[in-house]
Amino acid sequence: ESKTLPVIILIGDSNVGKTCVVHRFKTGQYNEKQQNTIGVDFTVRSMDIDGKRVKIQVWDTAGQERFRTITQSYYRSAHGAILAYDLTRKSTFESIPHWIHEIEKYGAANLVMMLIGNKSDSLDKRQVLFEDACTLAEKHGLLAVLETSAKEAQNIEEVFTLMAKELIARNTLQLHGENPPNSFSLDSRPVIASPSVEKTQCSC
Amino acid sequence: MVVQAKKRELKEAQKRKKQLEERCKLEDSIGNAVLTWNNEILPNWETMCCSRKVRELWWQGIPPSVRGKVWSLAIGNELNITHELYDICLARAKEKWRSLSTGGAEVECEDAGFSAADREASLELIKLDISRTFPSLCIFQQGGPYHDTLHSILGAYTCYRPDVGYVQGMSFIAAVLILNLDTADAFIAFSNLLNKPCQMAFFRVDHGLMLTYFAAFEVFFEENLPKLFAHFKKNNLTPDIYLIDWIFTLYSKSLPLDLACRVWDVFCRDGEEFLFRTALGILKLFEDILTKMDFIHIAQFLTKLPEDLPSEEFFTSIAAIQMQSRNKKWAQILAALQKDNREMEKGSPSLKR
Repeated sequence: ESKTLPVIILIGDSNVGKTCVVHRFKTGQYNEKQQNTIGVDFTVRSMDIDGKRVKIQVWDTAGQERFRTITQSYYRSAHGAILAYDLTRKSTFESIPHWIHEIEKYGAANLVMMLIGNKSDSLDKRQVLFEDACTLAEKHGLLAVLETSAKEAQNIEEVFTLMAKELIARNTLQLHGENPPNSFSLDSRPVIASPSVEKTQCSC
Repeated sequence: MVVQAKKRELKEAQKRKKQLEERCKLEDSIGNAVLTWNNEILPNWETMCCSRKVRELWWQGIPPSVRGKVWSLAIGNELNITHELYDICLARAKEKWRSLSTGGAEVECEDAGFSAADREASLELIKLDISRTFPSLCIFQQGGPYHDTLHSILGAYTCYRPDVGYVQGMSFIAAVLILNLDTADAFIAFSNLLNKPCQMAFFRVDHGLMLTYFAAFEVFFEENLPKLFAHFKKNNLTPDIYLIDWIFTLYSKSLPLDLACRVWDVFCRDGEEFLFRTALGILKLFEDILTKMDFIHIAQFLTKLPEDLPSEEFFTSIAAIQMQSRNKKWAQILAALQKDNREMEKGSPSLKR
């Protein structure tokens, strides 16, 4: 009966650029003067996936530790989670296992996770190697790792496309084609071990 | 043709004259209001602050030149914070920053364990957040005139209330106060404001109590806007989705700053219930559009309100909200819900058995 659209939740430490990533995805623009997020911000956008229109919800969460008890209650409704770190700040990468643990604890069982290392426009300040991110992703069975730049529009569209395709492949996502509105409900089937999309984008 | 041109010219001149008159009238009324506040109300604050005349003038918006003074008086200083205490807290914060930057913090914090690491993170976070506070104003950013002031107040607060620490959203509240008050007075107002029950519940993220506030809000939501309330219920749109940001930042992030200050004016007069009344005012203002939206579009709309809110319509809409439900006022409803909660907590072990 539920008519909810698929939900992708963005999590990660404060100031890694989650809101800038969503803003770029939604408007195609970069907002240098982004204010910090309190609680959760909501965005909806249509995408073209293999010639079909898919509408997705993006829930952008506050990064501060103190807000976790609030944001946790939103994990349950998410179908996909994008875990974000800032590749110029190692501590934000070191928190990723903790964020994964949170998702595993409070999220749905078949939730799709992927990792993004934002601020790839500042490679001269890099503190996190892409190889290390790949190792971590492999260890936890994440869908993919991508390095992104909201500032320079690198890999932003790709992140959401990859996630949407995976959700479709797992058949938890019904397409908005000629006959909307469609109903969308959480799939309770067990997840097939190997994801249908390549594990990581380790192209470096 | 000449006649027509002349006619047009005359019309334009009349329009200009009318605009000028209106501006003069507005300036006059602001000027008068400033005089009234300065000469009549402020010197006799205790006796006059609750009079009907003052309350009405208050609703119109406090003139910016006296705003800080009125806010300070209305918020009060229950905590008895002095300028000296602010200096002491600030000195301690500076000490911590120094030891953090030289790496000496580890030795000092060894026995404090986890909470020390937490505090370190919160000092680090303040630094990151300052530049993200009203970025478009360009005054709190690195190199801006109020950057250090904002840093000082937030740092001093984490030393004054280590049990609360720094929580995102606070930077916006401190910033609004800095725009209207001197540093030490802004700190006093800031600490006292955060000490109010509603603010404490939210900034300490007391989930149970926050839910009680949301429940009380829903009582008045249903009472005032039954159709929209039903629509929200049907779409699973719970109040936390939009209220968290609004309450944490006291609307300073979600409303244009001049409107937010006017909300603060009346919040200082009426207390926490006005925050929830404002929320209902916003929902009422956009009731027609919201009724046609689904979950995600409502959530998107409310977490990013239109930038060009019409201020008069906005306040008319708030004024139309009744904060009375079956003869019960906000405080009574809230207290009753709190009592229910406590009883349920007490009763639950036996129920389980």
